Order: sequence, then C-alpha cells, then structure tokens
Amino acid sequence: MRLVRYSYPSYRSLAPVSGRFSSSPWSGLETEIDRLFATALSDLAGVAAPAARVPVDLYEDKDNTYVRAELPGVNRDDISVEVVDGYLNIAAARKTPAAEGQAEQTFTFNRSLQLNEEVQADKVAAAYENGVLTVTLPKREEAKPKKITVAVK
Amino acid sequence: MSLLQNLIPALNRTTANTESAPANELGATVKPVFEIKQTAEAFGVTVYLPGVAKDGLEITAEDGQIRIVGRRAWQRPTGWTALYRESTDAAYELVLTHDNAIDADKIAAELRDGVLRVSLAKHEAAKPRKIAVS
Repeated sequence: MRLVRYSYPSYRSLAPVSGRFSSSPWSGLETEIDRLFATALSDLAGVAAPAARVPVDLYEDKDNTYVRAELPGVNRDDISVEVVDGYLNIAAARKTPAAEGQAEQTFTFNRSLQLNEEVQADKVAAAYENGVLTVTLPKREEAKPKKITVAVK
Repeated sequence: MSLLQNLIPALNRTTANTESAPANELGATVKPVFEIKQTAEAFGVTVYLPGVAKDGLEITAEDGQIRIVGRRAWQRPTGWTALYRESTDAAYELVLTHDNAIDADKIAAELRDGVLRVSLAKHEAAKPRKIAVS
C-alpha cells in the first residue's frame, strides 16, 4: 500500500472548531497547502517516526489523583506505566502490521509527569479503555483533606 | 452556469447545504489524526479516535462525501476536579470528499481501542484499467 496522506496533530487539529467556521473559504486552500508540505517533506526525510506527543489530562478527587492519556491503537502489553523517583513515566509502542511495500513500523509514545510526594507509589493502578489510559494514583492519608475540629477553650 | 455545475459536482455543495443541520447538534468539533493509504482495489483510512466507543461512532456516506463523527464515551465523574487538560471533550468529525470514486455499498469499518479502520472499495470506474487497442 502506498501512503497517500498523513495528517500530524497540531494546534489546529486539537483545538475545537465550530461547524460554521470549519468551512471558511480558506479551509480548502489550507488543507491543500498542508498536504503539499506533508508529501514534499515526507519524500525528503523518509518515514521518520519521532516520539509522538501524548495528550494527558490531570484530575483529582479527595482520595486519588487521576491521569488520563490518549493512546489509541496500542496493545495492553505494549504499554508500560512506571513510577520512578517521583516521576510517572508512560511509554507505549504502537506497531502497525507489515503490509506490502512497508516493513512493520513502530511508533513510540513517551510522557513523563512529575509527581508530588503525596502519592502512594505502591498502590498505583492503571486501566486502558477505548484508547485512553487512566492511571489512578492514591493520595497518602496525610494528604487527604481532613476536617480538624478545634475545641475553643 | 448549470453546465459548469453539472461537470464539477463540488460546486453544488456550497456551505449552505452541507453545514446547516449537522453543525448545530455537534457544536464545536475537532479533526482527528488520520492516514489514508491506497491499493489498486481500495482506499484504507485509519482514523485515531481515542475515547470513542462503538455507540458514539457514526459513519455516513452521501453525495460524494464520507463523514465520520465520533463522540467521546467518557463522562467526568462528579467529584473529580480537572487540574490540567490537554485534550478536549469535543466530538471528532472528519469529512472526506471523494466525488464518487468510492463504491458506497462496499464500505467496511472496524473500531478497536480507539482506532477506526475503514476500507473504501474503489468504484469500478475508478480502478485502473487496461484498454485494448484494436
């Protein structure tokens, strides 16, 4: 198979565009120019596979901190989540199966987040669903918000 | 004028016809990352839609366009506060214009782990053909 078009994520693709504006008179021209650059540069540089960016979201509630990372199309065995030295490292490899004319390609993703000391590193859990990895990081007991009643004498 | 519109179907698809109804219900949309490869028989489209499950996915083929809409399945539980967001909650929308190069009856699609693979068989008229010279 010949690769006809690949569109890298950019600010433009990740930012939401409302329906009315996405069909501005310039949008067709911009897509054509993007495509022109993409094919021209990909022919020069070959098919390079730089470590791609993983968008992450951080949430918390009173017991846990949650990290959600968008990793579509990766097998569970190829995802590695590690807590090392106060950092949470998420690494994943997506292998595209070998097709005619192309060897098997591997795209690697990498993201490293710094954790504060409130995390119980041994109770970290992770789940992968629909292409999104959710890592649950329980907070230490001392770090949970607690109500302290003070008796006033 | 009408002859030109008959020759070039894209001129009939002005923004008024294509964007009026669908744009309102989806609100803001994001264009997903995608790849297109082709063989002599078909186009293969791989669209990366993290967070979209089968019920949130909708593929329509009409009037020379393939439209893929993916709505994310995950709702943030109440009690979770967002500290830092890099992704959006907007739906994914991808429109591919093919001008009848694709046989719309033979579209096959598979969604797994947030990756949608669509195989679009080329219309008989669009396949490369040898023409015998008498």
